[in-house]
Amino acid sequence: MTINIENEKQQDAATKVETSRRNFIFGSVAAAGLTVAPAVMLYQTANARSLSDFSLKDGASSKVRLGMLVDTSKQVDWNKSVEACNKEHGLGNEKDSRDDQKTQYIRVVDVKNKGTGYTMSLPVMCQHCEQAPCIDVCPTGASMKRPDGIVLVDSHRCIGCRYCMMACPYKARSFVHEVLTDQTENTPRGKGCVESCNMCVNRIDKGQEPACVKASNGAIVFGDLNDPTSTISALLKEHGGKQIRADLKLNPGVYYQGI
Amino acid sequence: MWLQLNIDFSFNSSFISKKSKEKSLHKLPLAVAGLALIASFNTVNASQSNLGPSITIQETSGEKCVLPSEEMRRQHPDILKHDRIKTLREGVRAKADGGVLDGSLKQCVNCHAIKDDNNKYVRIDNDQHFCVSCHQYAAVSIDCFQCHRDIPEGSGDFHALSNHKDINYNAVVPGTYSLTVQDMANIAPEVHSDDN
Repeated sequence: MTINIENEKQQDAATKVETSRRNFIFGSVAAAGLTVAPAVMLYQTANARSLSDFSLKDGASSKVRLGMLVDTSKQVDWNKSVEACNKEHGLGNEKDSRDDQKTQYIRVVDVKNKGTGYTMSLPVMCQHCEQAPCIDVCPTGASMKRPDGIVLVDSHRCIGCRYCMMACPYKARSFVHEVLTDQTENTPRGKGCVESCNMCVNRIDKGQEPACVKASNGAIVFGDLNDPTSTISALLKEHGGKQIRADLKLNPGVYYQGI
Repeated sequence: MWLQLNIDFSFNSSFISKKSKEKSLHKLPLAVAGLALIASFNTVNASQSNLGPSITIQETSGEKCVLPSEEMRRQHPDILKHDRIKTLREGVRAKADGGVLDGSLKQCVNCHAIKDDNNKYVRIDNDQHFCVSCHQYAAVSIDCFQCHRDIPEGSGDFHALSNHKDINYNAVVPGTYSLTVQDMANIAPEVHSDDN
């Protein structure tokens, strides 16, 4: 039986050699197209999106949800990112404030497992929550979220009540206690206002990545969480990522790997 | 006012010359009284000009502002407020044609920054600062610069060595590193104190 079947198959193959080869060629081309095309499209859309969606004149788009992915397993010196942040925003120019009063946009948190003794450090900045408590409690509307998901303080409206500092579970906000001079052009900051990481809006609006991302040597990835073809989405889909205090259901825009 | 006075005076003198001598003599006391009156006006005006401070608004480097000066004086707070909402809350940082937003305080400062005698930009605590000079006169206190930078960023505080305008680069022969005094004289432009 089996032999007969094989013979039949061979005969079929012999008679249908023309069509099968054509089918094979067409099939292989289609298969190649299927494998190559998504990669090309991914590459093209990733490039096009980074340029087109951060246009200066169109403003922040609500189709975009900007976020960051921090890979703590890469053993990077997070202080480099902190330094880049301080330089970008002109932080650290307080003269009379105590160290715990001085503004910090990124805190480097060292954690230790008491059972195993395993230690690690991770940078904690504003987590840019979707359901941000700081916005809920702000009495003046100064605490706000841009359409693209960046949470920041509108200092024009901030009265310095510091409710948002109380509400933030990540301790991400700081208060300016003294008169400041020599601010940077792009980050106005002054006495009596609360401030926090704004994901470098001034850089993002120009189509650049945040300063900490640039200084992190690839350990922090920045991108659009809503875009399935973006690098950050691909990495999250492949390796997963954790949000800090996900139990609070605030849906932060900052994800961590290796924690 | 002085122009006005001169016209009045010449009118009087021509008035006198046209009339006969008797009539002019007859009118002389009136003319003298008129002159005295004008003189008294003059003294009153002189004392008035010393009342209150005067504003000296310095010329700035920009070619053209957003609106004519008269409109800018009245409307600049609204323009600034409108665009600060657009920029901060909506992320719009350029006009539809890609140009700088009208209400960009950064651009205001970049154009209207004023330098002192030492060629350094004056800060917000100086009366010569463009914004301060007017707001002090109008007794309007602004808090923009409690947070915003009051002078341009970058190399503004440094004295420029040359303006790079009059350098004849053709005088420098590529690959030759031994320059004579004459070569140096050809290369180096004259440095003026008012060059920026």
